[in-house]
Amino acid sequence: MPKIRNPIHTGLSIIIVGCGKVGSTLIEQLSKEGHDITIIDHNAQKVQEVASQYDIMGLAGNGASYNVQMEAGIENADLIIAVTNSDELNLLCCTVAKQVGNCAAIARVRTPDYSSEAAYLRDRLGLALIINPELEAAREAARILYLPTALEINPFAHGQAELIKFKIPEGNVLSGMSIAYLGKHIAPDILICAIERCGEVHIPSGNFQMEAGDVISFVATRKCSKHFLEDIGFKTRRVKNVMIIGGGKATYYLAVQLIHMGISVKIIERDRQRCEELSTLLPKAVIINGDGTDPELLTEEGIEYMESFIALTGVDEENVLLTLHARQVSNAKVITKINHLAFKGVISRLDLGSVIYPRYITSEAIIAYVRAKKNSMDSNIETLYHMFDHRVEAIEFRIDEDSKVTGSPLMNLSLKENLLVASINRNGSVLIPSGQDSIQVGDSVMIVTTHTGFKDILDILK
Amino acid sequence: MNSSIIRFILGNVLKIEGLLLFLPAIVSGIYFEHEGLYYVSVAAVCLILGFLMTRKTPESQVFYLKEGCITTALSWILLSFFGCLPFYLSREIPSFADALFETISGFTTTGASILSDVEALSHCALFWRSFTHWIGGMGVLVFLLAVIPLSGGSHINLMRAESPGPSVGKLVPKIRYTARILYVIYFIMTVAEILLLLAGGMPLFDALTTSFGTAGTGGFGIKNDSFMSYSPYLQWIVTIFMILFGVNFNAYYLILFGKLKKALFIEEVRAYFVIILAASAIIFFNIVNTCSGIFEALTHAAFQVGSIITTTGFSSVDFDLWPETSHTILVLLMFIGACAGSTGGGIKVSRFLILVKTVIKEMNSYIHPKSIKKIKMDGKCVEHEVVRSTNVYLITFVIIFSVSVFAISIDGKDLTTNFTAVAATINNIGPGLALVGPTQNFGHFSVFSKYVLMFDMMAGRLELFPLLILFHPAAWKDLFTRRFSQK
Repeated sequence: MPKIRNPIHTGLSIIIVGCGKVGSTLIEQLSKEGHDITIIDHNAQKVQEVASQYDIMGLAGNGASYNVQMEAGIENADLIIAVTNSDELNLLCCTVAKQVGNCAAIARVRTPDYSSEAAYLRDRLGLALIINPELEAAREAARILYLPTALEINPFAHGQAELIKFKIPEGNVLSGMSIAYLGKHIAPDILICAIERCGEVHIPSGNFQMEAGDVISFVATRKCSKHFLEDIGFKTRRVKNVMIIGGGKATYYLAVQLIHMGISVKIIERDRQRCEELSTLLPKAVIINGDGTDPELLTEEGIEYMESFIALTGVDEENVLLTLHARQVSNAKVITKINHLAFKGVISRLDLGSVIYPRYITSEAIIAYVRAKKNSMDSNIETLYHMFDHRVEAIEFRIDEDSKVTGSPLMNLSLKENLLVASINRNGSVLIPSGQDSIQVGDSVMIVTTHTGFKDILDILK
Repeated sequence: MNSSIIRFILGNVLKIEGLLLFLPAIVSGIYFEHEGLYYVSVAAVCLILGFLMTRKTPESQVFYLKEGCITTALSWILLSFFGCLPFYLSREIPSFADALFETISGFTTTGASILSDVEALSHCALFWRSFTHWIGGMGVLVFLLAVIPLSGGSHINLMRAESPGPSVGKLVPKIRYTARILYVIYFIMTVAEILLLLAGGMPLFDALTTSFGTAGTGGFGIKNDSFMSYSPYLQWIVTIFMILFGVNFNAYYLILFGKLKKALFIEEVRAYFVIILAASAIIFFNIVNTCSGIFEALTHAAFQVGSIITTTGFSSVDFDLWPETSHTILVLLMFIGACAGSTGGGIKVSRFLILVKTVIKEMNSYIHPKSIKKIKMDGKCVEHEVVRSTNVYLITFVIIFSVSVFAISIDGKDLTTNFTAVAATINNIGPGLALVGPTQNFGHFSVFSKYVLMFDMMAGRLELFPLLILFHPAAWKDLFTRRFSQK
């Protein structure tokens, strides 16, 4: 049967199975980008709620069932995203969808059993992406522990370069310094791409003066960033030990990485059976069976002497309070995991330090994929990050063909306001561009901007 | 409550009405009628008011169900008020209550008239009268959703308040496109009818007004004898289109996208056709002796059944003269009404299906007290919430119906007149029996009774609750409450 297209179709038509935490974040983000979304969940009431909140269509039923998928219009869908809480169901949804419709499929798979086989599963089942929010969250936490000064570290250019966020403390050499002076005299090989001051985000120009209390985001290669932070007086030594509260999947993934890095790990988990499982899986870690929210236990286990403290329980409120407690009693680097963001405004004022949002990490990957799918031929989105509460987007484009932006020096292009070409990755080496540099075919280019919704490299032009 | 979004939507409704009022003005230009001036001046007032009200885009476009209901009710009242002004100002309908009655009857697609001599009206008045049916049939807010970009998805609450039926679904994920698809289907079917009527030799003006009346399942005729003097071909065309406009529009959407089989399996649509066939058959056998031939009996039976069940209210014969059995069938059809999601009124076939299934379930529970059985429609479980609201709807309907019958009985008319007058207005049909029969009109009621019937028409079209909400004190209190500020 020929594919019947909705005649007044604008965005992609996307089916999302499961409207839990990740599902609803995806709905929020993707409906903002103008796609046609149909949501399937077995809980009719939940579907009803979401459907009256966003401009989407809801369907109650089992997302892996052929009939339900047909009703949701799988035949004409461009993409199916399965994010129910069962890995098996997600994979089944995608498998069924691949058979019925001609669409791309994304599945969330988070159990460690499968995650090691993710690449195999993806290829065999023909999936576009397999996402694992817990693993991604763990990776982000591990990156931060590697460079504890940073509030947030996002890798791009296949890990060659990083986008690092940190806060200027009182009395730092940077306060009062202009961006141009910094670039000329201290650190020519980094680029400051966004500054948040008093709740406002600036894409700074050369004469912008930094102040204590500013939160700064800069792009640099890993080596340069370390030098830069040392030069301006930060300690860049990675932590030696870590205390993790809560023994979920993210904890497991994180502990594996940290132990590999040679950091000693202590995990406090309430459930005895889970403790036993963890101890089998992670023989090098210290597993404590007890209530992580009990201050006595934390003191007994030496919270005051810890270099870092990570709250990874499933309850956001507990995580926030644990972090605040840890900041009070120790000098540890703290990281908080927040799943569900109901009171975002309140949380951002609490000064928690590093916060990781597993579901944002996931939705960023999916949105990058979706934008790239919608996109024209001459460039492609590699990675996308939302920074400063979605007010700034950092997007990495791969340049596949000649276009208006290629070949001529950046200073000759009429770029949009509030936009920065932050780095160019050429033949595996990262370049912080100046006005004389130009974009060439084969590069991947990092753009930082307060404009949202860029899909193509040509969007950077006025 | 977000009163600025309500103001914004109402302003847009006025703008649309202002633009639509130019259509009858154009008609008056063609026929050289001076009444057109009144339409232009009312249109200007609407546009100016509309622009003033929409000058400031509201900061928050969040819509909850209560905002949806209040906006819907207020916009229909506003629409009717400004819509009746040309009739009143041009003195074609000298009394304000009558002019308002006629306009509400138009917008709610009732088709009950207070005029004894329709043919005396100017062409532009006739055009506007019929055109209100077309606007009211699919709903002006649905139109608004199709043309005005609103951010967020919460404005489904607007559509929910205006569209008929126990549960409102979307055809496609975006509400804007759902509304557009509905209007495209509506428009295409109207044009098809106009062309077929023209092919049958009907003059263009008659074809236009008749099609507007059919499409909105309204029923204002432009002749005193409604449809009696037209040829059987034209009567059959109108019969078919009346029945088609009474079908759930979801079915057309499915057909449009090549899912004919699925469309035919919609339970409500099947029940609707079964009822039409059965009722036509009974009436056919009941009247076949009084008619001059089998074909004529068939034509009249089908026309009247189609006209009443879809709540259109055209008549091809004075059915008030028919035998009692036929009367009874027609009165019963009045209450059943058309399908949910169509342009027709009444209680809706799907509600009756749910009610019948509830009764069967209740009987089952007497035989097997501990049995658990879910009510299903189209093979899917009907949520308890839908069943509950259907029951409450019926009760509320009965209460409003009874109170209205009592209220207009003060005029001292006979029970058949009062009963069918309320039935014909609350179900948005038009003609009833006895003194409000197809050759009669509603002009003889007292002003008070007219206002009661106007309320019934509005309540029937908006499915009771959006209108009733206006009588809840909290709705008004919220409307004028400002955001608390400590400064």
